[in-house]
Amino acid sequence: MPNGDKNYFDPKVLAGISNLALRARWVVEGLMSGIHRSRAKGFSVEFEEHREYSPGDEIRRIDWKALGKFDRYFIKEYEDETNLRAYLLMDASASMNYASDGITKFDYGCTLTASLAYLILKQQDAAGLVTFSDHIESFIPPRAKRDYLTQILGALEKRGAAGETNVGKILEDIAGQVKRRGLIVLVSDLLDEPESILNGLRQFRFRGNDVIVFHLFDQAELELPFDGNILFEDLEAANLQVIADPRAIRTTYKQVVQEFINDMRKQCRDNTIDYQVISTATPLDQALASYLSWRG
Amino acid sequence: MSVFFLYPVFLLGLLAASLPVLIHLLNRRKLKRIRFPAVRFILLSQKRISRSYRLRHWILLALRTLAVVFLALLLANPIFQTGAGLFAGGGPVSLVVLLDNSLSMTWSGDGNGFKQAKDAARLLISALNDDDRAAIVPTNITGKEPFRLKAQKDVLLRELDAIEIADGTVNLEAALGKAYELLNVPAGQKEIRFITDMGLTGWDQFSLAGLKQVDPSIPLKLIHVGRKQTPPNGSIKEIRLGSPGIGANLPLQIDVTVANFGESELKDVLAQLSIDGQNKEQKLISVPGKSESSLRFQTRLSQPGAHAGQVTLKKAGLAGNPTTNFTLDAQEKLKVLVVDGDPQTSVVQSETFFLSRALNPSGERDASIFLPTVILTDGLNTATLDGYQVLILCNVAALPESFTAKLQSFLRQGGGVLIFAGDKFQADSYNQKIARDLPGQLGEKKLGPEANADKIGKFAAKHPALQFLADPILEESIKSARVWGYFRTTAGGQAPLITLANGDALLLEQNVGAGRILMMTSSADRDWTDLPLKTVYLPLIQSLAQYLAGGNRGALDGGIAVGAAKEIALPPTLVGKNLRVTKPDKQTAEVAITAEKNRAVASIEENDRAGIYRVSLPVGGEKNAGAPQMYAVNPPLLESRLDEISARELQAKLSPIRAEVIPVDALKEGGKRTDLALPLLALLIVTLLIEGWLGQRF
Repeated sequence: MPNGDKNYFDPKVLAGISNLALRARWVVEGLMSGIHRSRAKGFSVEFEEHREYSPGDEIRRIDWKALGKFDRYFIKEYEDETNLRAYLLMDASASMNYASDGITKFDYGCTLTASLAYLILKQQDAAGLVTFSDHIESFIPPRAKRDYLTQILGALEKRGAAGETNVGKILEDIAGQVKRRGLIVLVSDLLDEPESILNGLRQFRFRGNDVIVFHLFDQAELELPFDGNILFEDLEAANLQVIADPRAIRTTYKQVVQEFINDMRKQCRDNTIDYQVISTATPLDQALASYLSWRG
Repeated sequence: MSVFFLYPVFLLGLLAASLPVLIHLLNRRKLKRIRFPAVRFILLSQKRISRSYRLRHWILLALRTLAVVFLALLLANPIFQTGAGLFAGGGPVSLVVLLDNSLSMTWSGDGNGFKQAKDAARLLISALNDDDRAAIVPTNITGKEPFRLKAQKDVLLRELDAIEIADGTVNLEAALGKAYELLNVPAGQKEIRFITDMGLTGWDQFSLAGLKQVDPSIPLKLIHVGRKQTPPNGSIKEIRLGSPGIGANLPLQIDVTVANFGESELKDVLAQLSIDGQNKEQKLISVPGKSESSLRFQTRLSQPGAHAGQVTLKKAGLAGNPTTNFTLDAQEKLKVLVVDGDPQTSVVQSETFFLSRALNPSGERDASIFLPTVILTDGLNTATLDGYQVLILCNVAALPESFTAKLQSFLRQGGGVLIFAGDKFQADSYNQKIARDLPGQLGEKKLGPEANADKIGKFAAKHPALQFLADPILEESIKSARVWGYFRTTAGGQAPLITLANGDALLLEQNVGAGRILMMTSSADRDWTDLPLKTVYLPLIQSLAQYLAGGNRGALDGGIAVGAAKEIALPPTLVGKNLRVTKPDKQTAEVAITAEKNRAVASIEENDRAGIYRVSLPVGGEKNAGAPQMYAVNPPLLESRLDEISARELQAKLSPIRAEVIPVDALKEGGKRTDLALPLLALLIVTLLIEGWLGQRF
């Protein structure tokens, strides 16, 4: 990834995201407080409010000091920050290195990943990063330290997109390494066998992870806007070439892509996996905001 | 059934039909390379649409090509025509009907081919719409006649009725040229219909290069008046004189050659000779297939002068010109005065015995064209030369004084004199009295023994008087003659006509005024030469006498072909005057006599009918004009030949014009013409709509 004036914390992006809170819809451990209520009891406990006792409440949670003061039974409520462990899985295969107009899918994905990492760390959750192609390029386990973001960004910047994709296998590998339940965020163009990808994602779900998939598309991949007879060469498999007249196949191509998306969406829904298609033409803040709003 | 185009130049646009294919091929070559991540989706798409895509692709290509083709055809405006008739639809038509009125049409079709042809033309004219225009052009035109396209059917039908069979051959170049000239006007649709028997004779002389203008885009249809079966086909090929001359009351032999154009034998055809309208003789003749046979008529003419003759063939169903005209010019008897300078008691030994027998072999008055009168030298004093055409002096010693002036006057008025030498002949006397008129100065007499005789060395074979020596028998005969006595001569103005082997002259000629002298340096009898005993003697004497009389022994003239010009030479005094010609149909025409070099000429060109044409000279020109009083005009022999031109030969003759041959019967089936512009426009629009729809779906 080229350095320079690339800024993953574009104020426009961050302004859009900082007004929203990342909320887990599903907390594996059940521990939740504040916005992110969790069934699991967290390490950091902060008093939030009192409420009157009602039958069925645990007696040990009665605030005896308040009884002495107000002569009424109050239950003490605490707000705990969820100890969310987010794994950001960034696809760094060669197919991500495509841009029809301006930004490549990889750049876009990196920005998105960095934004998410920032957001997660800002909320004092733990964020980790895995970059992969047909193998795991880098693995940064989740930490909740604010300065951990530098390490994540460093890993993202460390290499560009190269190599073939093998998302399914990679997901299975990572699933084996994730010991504690958490949030799995996959940022990829998913150019692999759909069944293999879904198998990998299911692995996470079996282990109780919450999974979000950002399916990246370049606008040209969605619309095939080319003219004339063209020799298409695959970005990953050098020997995969095809001559086609985009005008002749455009309608069918769009159908095929849409079917792929629809199939992925359905499979994800069936497995309670969040699935979001994002075009690189979509403004990043808009993509994040719309997702987080929906998520909320 | 045919299709033709009003604006065929737009057919070049068909070349543009290859453009979609070319563009397709060029696009295939111009490949753009793009590195792309979702190739798997492209592959999947292609696989899914592969069959229908290719099908649609080819359909699109075909539709685009079709659209260009339809557009080019639309601009060229095709007209679809079924049947040979005219013209149910397709807009106003300009039509030229060429009607073959050559003689051969007489025997075409069902036996009355010309009527069939006229009926066909009538059908075409009747089928015209009100806004159509047409012209009817017979094929015997010269090309100078005025024609114009007109819309009035009644006028056209009257013109059609007025056309008759011509005796000549078609002038296809003129007729077709006239058709293209008439159609060289802006018009929606143009048509040429040629109703013909497709006789080979007319096409033999046809060359497209002879036309001033040709428009291959105009449909040319030949409506064929064909024969149901092949009839016997023959005609008279030649009529010629069988006897040496034609004189009043003299035996006349006329040889007739009949040609059979058919494959089968012409059997027992009656050939009839008539002269001046009177049947003279008739004979039967048979002619093998594709061959010729001759017969000889023998008759006599009672009167001198011009006579009209005819030979007619008669046989049921015979196709071919049956009648051939000719003219005869019979001469009066040529009166010859023979002067015997050495008479003997024995007729056989007299100087003129052989000569007078040569002029009239039988001795009977009506047996020869020559009428010789023999007198002795003494008779010259009282003799008058009036009425004689030729004077022959045989061994006359000297010319009497009183006769010399007569002789010179006779010569200057056109008389002919033949002088023979002999033992009595006094050369000095001749040299003195008529030195200027003699062909050469007479010199010494050379007389040797018969054993040392000289042979004749050479003769002027091209001289009119000696042309008969072209016959090898006569040539051999004259070369075998020997001469042992003659007068030598010094060179005169002209070369000798006959020369001895030793180079001395035997026969010399000298023109004097309008007449001429022939001088034979040897004797007329056997005294100095054995020539009188030779075969050649008789024709030699007759030929010399005839030459001296003006060369005319009477003639048979087979005439000229219909359409050919007859040129008549006349004395220069007649220049500026008119010659009157009476045609066979009794119509008369005045022909101007014009000057040509040192003579006057009348050229009669309107010989458009077969028969006898009579010529009347202007007042003052009747006498001695040498002009014929009549001449014969006959149909061309080959016009009797019924052979037809084949379709291949026809196409070769007309290329690049595309001609279609239609049987005349097909006309009755009518015809329909449809302008294909609208259907083509509809097709073009539909094609473009489908192309657009399919193109959008891609």
